[in-house]
Amino acid sequence: MSLVQELGAQVRATSDDLPVGQVAVAVERLRAAGELLMWVRQESVDPLGVPRLAGAMEHAEQAAQALRVAQDSLLAYLTSIGLAHDGAPGPDGTWRTALREPEGERRERPEPSGAEPPPLGRWWSERVAVLTGHGSPAARSDSAAKEGPDLLRRVAAGVRSEDRDKLHRELGGVEPPVGLGLSALAPPVLHRLAGDLLRHQPRAEDLPALAKQVEPRVRDLLPGLPPRILDIQLRRICRVPVERKDDDGPPPHPADFAVIGSVVAGVLLRLLDREPDSLDPAAPEPVPDAETHA
Amino acid sequence: MASVAEVKSAIDAAIQQVSEGQAAVHAASEKLAEAQQSLAVALDGSGHDAVSTAHASLQQATQELEECLAATMAAVEQAQQYSAAL
Repeated sequence: MSLVQELGAQVRATSDDLPVGQVAVAVERLRAAGELLMWVRQESVDPLGVPRLAGAMEHAEQAAQALRVAQDSLLAYLTSIGLAHDGAPGPDGTWRTALREPEGERRERPEPSGAEPPPLGRWWSERVAVLTGHGSPAARSDSAAKEGPDLLRRVAAGVRSEDRDKLHRELGGVEPPVGLGLSALAPPVLHRLAGDLLRHQPRAEDLPALAKQVEPRVRDLLPGLPPRILDIQLRRICRVPVERKDDDGPPPHPADFAVIGSVVAGVLLRLLDREPDSLDPAAPEPVPDAETHA
Repeated sequence: MASVAEVKSAIDAAIQQVSEGQAAVHAASEKLAEAQQSLAVALDGSGHDAVSTAHASLQQATQELEECLAATMAAVEQAQQYSAAL
């Protein structure tokens, strides 16, 4: 390896290792927290930390943008010193970061103390029952998913078999934080799957084609979902700003984005004819299908 | 109808999301510091515009992440105060 090649390899490795994925995960976590607090505080004049969280999210988004500029600059530098092969961007691994457990110590989870679970469980499972068109909330289950990525794969399996009862059971039976966490996990996965389906990064002009493919399937699986939630979700995938109207009404129920994110991920996997297990962060990069397009 | 316990649980769930966001920001900041050190050594002596832009962008990202963390801490404090007063 020549000296220039060695320099190029080092710069390339550093560029690939920039924490774009972690920052994207942070943005989605803050967004999920903000949506939940927005819903809690409606009609209250207490800010409840919502404006501060919005500010935090803006800083994280700016950081992500700065990291992308740094990556582009480093790749441009490699091209300019004659290493054109090293100047192409690598695959976007943000979705893997989102589905991976954080490095280091495992997150602490509240231990069961024998006391009754907090009543949020009823709040979550009731909303899942409304969305999936069931009359009654699913019972809490010991076999329910304990982690978001596992729940995402189980929901994808339910979507694949078009089994609305399974969606109701799997989603409604989890602890609310696990379910609500889906709204933070799903966006990078959705962006990547939609990109694979479209065979390019999702853009504004892809919105109608994506909606045409996804909407009927989601409507069948989630008959109780307010239509604007799916519209907002698809706009986020295609990076289209969400229009706010004065008559928007109350903020969306936070469970809606968690549920729709996981179901749309399942629908996209189905359209790509991929197994739910392909959402394993350790899974190899799938081989693109020449026939796949929206 | 919502109860105080339910509202508190919802706020706790939101704070948990923020904590996980903070953990991601911390991890990102550490990686970013390593990347800056590594590039400072590898690209020492380069006057290329693209290299200057990369250094400046990484510095900006560091600053934004610090401000992000500060804002999340203030948000959590406000949410906890509200929850305690319920």
